[in-house]
Amino acid sequence: MSPTQSETGQPESRVLVETSHLASGALVEVSDLTWRPFGRREPVLAGITLRIEAGSRVLLAGPSGSGKSTLLRALAGVLTTTETGKLTGSVLVNGSAAGTLVGLMVQDPADALVAGQVGRDVAFGPESFGMPRDQIWSRVRSALASVGFPYGEDHPTSALSGGEAQRLALAGVLALTPRLVLLDEPTSMLDPDSAAVVREAIICAVHDSGATLVMVEHQLCHWVDQVDRLVVLAPGGRVSADGPVAATLARSADSLAAQGVWVPDVAFPLPLEVPRALCAPTLAVGSGGSGGSGGSGLSGGLSGSVSPGGSGASGASGGLSGLSGLSGLSAASGPLLVAAESVSVIRQARRSVMSANRPSTVTQALLEVCAEVSAGECVAVIGPSGAGKSTLTALLAGVDEPTRGRVRGVGPLLAGVSASPSEVIHRWASRDLAARFGWVPQQAEQAVVARTVRGDVLSTSRRLGLNEDAAGARADALLAVLGLSALAGADPHYLSGGEQRRLALAGAIAHGPSVLVLDEPSVGQDRVTWAAVAGVVVAARDAGVGVVLATHDPLLIALADRRITLRSGRIVDASFDPRAQLPPGERSAASPLAGRAHPLADPREGVTPPHARPSSLWSGLVFSRTGFTGRWTGLASRSGPLSLLLASIVLVLGAPFIIDLRTALIAIGAEIALAPMVLGLGRPPWRRLLPGLFTVASVSFSNWLLSPGREVSTGALAGLRVAFFVVPSVLLVSRIDPSALGDHLGQRLRLPARPVVAAVAALHRFEGLGKTWDQLARVRRVRGLQAGRSLPGRARSVAALTFGLLIETLRQAGRMAVAMEARGFSAAVPSTSPAGSPAPRRTWAEPAPWLLSDSVMLALGLMVAAVPLFVPRV
Amino acid sequence: MTEPGSTRFTPQTPGTSRPAPANMPATRPLMRWRGVDLITAAMLAVAFGVVFWGFDTFIYPILSTATAGFPPLGELMLGVWLLPAVVGGLVIRRPGAALFTELVAANVEMFLGNKWGAAVLLSAVLQGLGVELALALFRHRRFGVLVAVLAGVLAAVFEIVFYEWHSYVAAYSSAWKAIYLVCGMVSGAVIAGVGGWFLVRALARTGALNAFPPGQEVRESNSV
Repeated sequence: MSPTQSETGQPESRVLVETSHLASGALVEVSDLTWRPFGRREPVLAGITLRIEAGSRVLLAGPSGSGKSTLLRALAGVLTTTETGKLTGSVLVNGSAAGTLVGLMVQDPADALVAGQVGRDVAFGPESFGMPRDQIWSRVRSALASVGFPYGEDHPTSALSGGEAQRLALAGVLALTPRLVLLDEPTSMLDPDSAAVVREAIICAVHDSGATLVMVEHQLCHWVDQVDRLVVLAPGGRVSADGPVAATLARSADSLAAQGVWVPDVAFPLPLEVPRALCAPTLAVGSGGSGGSGGSGLSGGLSGSVSPGGSGASGASGGLSGLSGLSGLSAASGPLLVAAESVSVIRQARRSVMSANRPSTVTQALLEVCAEVSAGECVAVIGPSGAGKSTLTALLAGVDEPTRGRVRGVGPLLAGVSASPSEVIHRWASRDLAARFGWVPQQAEQAVVARTVRGDVLSTSRRLGLNEDAAGARADALLAVLGLSALAGADPHYLSGGEQRRLALAGAIAHGPSVLVLDEPSVGQDRVTWAAVAGVVVAARDAGVGVVLATHDPLLIALADRRITLRSGRIVDASFDPRAQLPPGERSAASPLAGRAHPLADPREGVTPPHARPSSLWSGLVFSRTGFTGRWTGLASRSGPLSLLLASIVLVLGAPFIIDLRTALIAIGAEIALAPMVLGLGRPPWRRLLPGLFTVASVSFSNWLLSPGREVSTGALAGLRVAFFVVPSVLLVSRIDPSALGDHLGQRLRLPARPVVAAVAALHRFEGLGKTWDQLARVRRVRGLQAGRSLPGRARSVAALTFGLLIETLRQAGRMAVAMEARGFSAAVPSTSPAGSPAPRRTWAEPAPWLLSDSVMLALGLMVAAVPLFVPRV
Repeated sequence: MTEPGSTRFTPQTPGTSRPAPANMPATRPLMRWRGVDLITAAMLAVAFGVVFWGFDTFIYPILSTATAGFPPLGELMLGVWLLPAVVGGLVIRRPGAALFTELVAANVEMFLGNKWGAAVLLSAVLQGLGVELALALFRHRRFGVLVAVLAGVLAAVFEIVFYEWHSYVAAYSSAWKAIYLVCGMVSGAVIAGVGGWFLVRALARTGALNAFPPGQEVRESNSV
């Protein structure tokens, strides 16, 4: 994007005109920056002093917990958004505090989303800083173009892949034409293909803008050629090395690698040797049993010879054998455990706050997929994002139900299961499932089920009534292997993302399931912890567990015996793959496996799940404007949100004036007469109306029952009085678009902008939070914790899910706040804008017109509400 | 927009010098909402929207037969719908937090399609004002369990006395109206008041409320 193109002739824009700095990047001066959050003894940042020259590109590296992300937040001026603590020293960007000069892109693009449409999302920053509307849209367009965004401004943000969402987030940052761009692990959540596209977009866009770049990354290899300086942070928040990339890397590569940083030109880590007994199934499945399956003789190699149950679990670092020896490819795997038979999954988006008045989306997530898992084998499910990996693995873990087809447990798994038909695993009782299956969801932070780390690992064992001492010893050994021993007494919610993922793995395997299903188990792991995770996978496989991995990680894929390649919900290749070896000593910056692991000619395909337009089958569920094309769709569909809401509310106020049955019937008759004009022609949306009609019936009944005289007319009057405002109101508000309501409340009613904007942004999270709820429920089910169907059981379930959901919500709100503040959410608040300059007034990218139809709608509402007042008394 | 040679960082924690207060207020001035206050209140509200959906799906069907026949019993569940106001007020601790949270939660219900239509907004305003009154009586300095109970009770009273008596139960006899009110007050006290207070405390102990006064209370009581 050309930095000057939209900067000319805009005297109204008070804030965004920074012409003096536009030509170049910003100079960043950090001096003696120290940050200690309250409640911590040690500072996270300790006396950091850095001078970053204008236009330079800096890669910030260091082990987990060295304060990289914290430093980035400090540079963006949003450190105190969600945390409180003691901050000393200073950060100056071109000699002043952070403002529009600085743009921060957060790790998870989902945290940055604030709007339902792409263009509106990018417009958030310019709106916050008070840019006039016409300029906002030219900014939006150039920002989207600069990141090579493939869709138009009206594209829904809910239909984006991870890579597209991250490019959108980048556009949202660039829309403010920042002179300092800060990126926090911009590709860590993405599959390799999407990550490459995002990297390309970042490199081009930042290069074009000339901004200074500071980025944090775990995987250094893809970036070392793109930056000119490497700053290494050491644990404790100090700068331990700083200088040109090549020289700094040469100096500190080995120590970085030892601390776990993924450094280029250092050999890949090997799976840790983990005693098999730690991962052995509790139920005897097949010939292998807990002693390990047939695979051990040839390929188990060294790891098989480690005596189980010993102290050797802790701290063994690195393996002696090459990766070549760890793949059990030669083994004849054990008996079949699970079989998915031609399963299809069709997802219909749950009814959402934001889309209640739009046709619902139907997605074919899987199409006639067959898959089998046997004891003692490791199956990798691979394919691009959106191909259906998570869906398939959830089916194989029994936590989800196929739309068509079935997933069966086979032979040895079935003993003792009390379901009917007994082999369909998603019908199993929670405890039966837990005894046989372990599952780690992609969102491992949602897998927490107890108050302490150790209690979490033990919870399923306890639920299943396993021997407490043996289970405890196994849990402790697993925690030691996975580097979590020191945290055993901690609340799981205090753990980092990578630690929570390892905790979820420990919890999934500790009770000895026969099938272990892991969705992206290696995300967020450094070299050291990756080795531990891979070690558990290998040990489980060698102990006779059927292991399923959904992963993008080429190193992990190399450990698998077999792979299932999905693309757009179909299997494209499910062959045995006898290759699965990394050439010994392979030292390449670009992973040699990346190409082979993802044999997709066109990365675009499959990234977007196939969306089917709803057929008449589905559209009956949701009242839609588009469902009645060609017919009169009613005044309501031509009215703005404000008039619809006001008309609904005035009806409530008119209801108390209905004092006899005759008035009630006349008033409701007036409503029915107006209905075709207001609501259009067509079948009434019964599904939406049903709850309201139920209310009317219930009100009638109870008012009859509990009134002094028990007259039928009393009950009828009470019911009709409620029907008078409930029924029209339910139908009118279903036509309101919440985003548009926000625009109108802010502009027409002049409500304070920040609460309105926060509420609209939060409403967009409804669907996501609903999915979190589902995921939390699945975790409880597969961990054996799902309570029964009795009322107390259900109440316990809802309480546990509520608690988990609220924790997730609060954390998400914190991350959202960081992303939104970095885009100027509070820029219009006098206290936060620097002294001397007037606070910009928030502008709105979309207008909020009040049209003739709005006046007519409101007038009709008032007229109907007044009918009870003017019915002549008899 | 520049302020030469300065940092905008000042420690923003109130009462750090005080020894572990049990009732830590929000940063002064109380009306100056931080961005994270607004976003968190709105997100809590939306999450409660999801919870209501779960409640409706898993629990209410079982209760509905009982409550359809005898609505005062249903009013024993009223406290569930008052939770957003109480939790929002206890977490954010600023004037308007309870009202804002309850109002956004009501919007979720309304847009999702509910049985009351836009009337749910009116209920939300009354319920939110009930909680606001309780917190204001203690000048936003006391947030103990008794204050929470009072907040839950007042929310129920506002909802029933100013709205439901005139709409849904208008024809009840006076005695039944009184019973209906008592059921709502008990529910407000127990579910919204005691339940909401324990919920906030449990959330604070997980560290999820570290940016807010309840989280700081937990931290300071641990560090002493």
